[in-house]
Amino acid sequence: MLLHLCRWLQDNSFIVAINGTSWTAAALEIVHYFSMFILVGSMVVVDLRVLGLVGRRQDATELAGRLFPWIWISFALNFLSGFLMFAGSATSYYRNDVFYDKVVVIVLAIVTNIIVQQRVSGWNRLPAMPASAKVLAAVSIVLWIGAIVAGVEVPALIGVG
Amino acid sequence: MDSSLIHFGHWLQNRPFALAIAGSDWAYPFVQATHFTGLSLWVGTNVAVDLNLLGVGKKSAPPLQLSDTLFIWNWIGFGIAVIGGFLLFSVSAETYLSNIAFLTKLAMLIPLGLALHIVIQRKAPTWEKSSQTSSVAKFAGFTELLLWLCVVTAAVLIPYVG
Repeated sequence: MLLHLCRWLQDNSFIVAINGTSWTAAALEIVHYFSMFILVGSMVVVDLRVLGLVGRRQDATELAGRLFPWIWISFALNFLSGFLMFAGSATSYYRNDVFYDKVVVIVLAIVTNIIVQQRVSGWNRLPAMPASAKVLAAVSIVLWIGAIVAGVEVPALIGVG
Repeated sequence: MDSSLIHFGHWLQNRPFALAIAGSDWAYPFVQATHFTGLSLWVGTNVAVDLNLLGVGKKSAPPLQLSDTLFIWNWIGFGIAVIGGFLLFSVSAETYLSNIAFLTKLAMLIPLGLALHIVIQRKAPTWEKSSQTSSVAKFAGFTELLLWLCVVTAAVLIPYVG
């Protein structure tokens, strides 16, 4: 069923064209890398602020408020470019265990993003960041680095992408 | 290509550490991941400052002193990216030194980006104080954003032109 869907995606004429032309394939990679840097970098900065390791004099709510729009825009671009590249070799990714790990790690990391975004102004009103917030921020950083590690392992171990 | 450069590449990629990374199944991807993690911090913090200078999404919010706030993590990211990048380069230095996309990235785009970045970092505290972004600040922010995008583009094109 899932494999069927993968095969159908992979044979879609638009997917074939965008992955088969070298400049569009390169453009997908460029968008994927650049948006990933902005996504992970900005989120890690918010996490580091919660941990008290970046700009303590900078208001955490304001910093998060300024960075979260970039985080979500870059996530959208990252997801879209990632999906199009996945679709181009969907059946190879289907057989790749590390790719499943990568998806799970990213879903968990996104969940930490959402929780931090919703809770940060509440934490900010307390005299100090609560321990649970700091743990969540640390987990978020570890998950995003884990997503990068899993991401480079996918082509390294299987030879796709 | 200049033969002394190729000699250097040959020498570098035969150093024990380079051979160790090349010969190990797991080391190379982990060095890659290190490079990308450093880049996330470096590019992420640069882009945050550039977009702030461009005044995108400001909407009457109080001025944000991003450049100073992010200063340390910005350079920590750069340091990690350089270490990871150097190790990746060492593994196949000879090939990289004869690749036009790599040479453009290293010899032209990165020095340009760095020079502009340092100028921005010095001026940003003044620029960021005013709620009305000056056109110079906007131009600087936009150019830096574009330059790092060019660096990523050149990096992605390395295997395409090689």
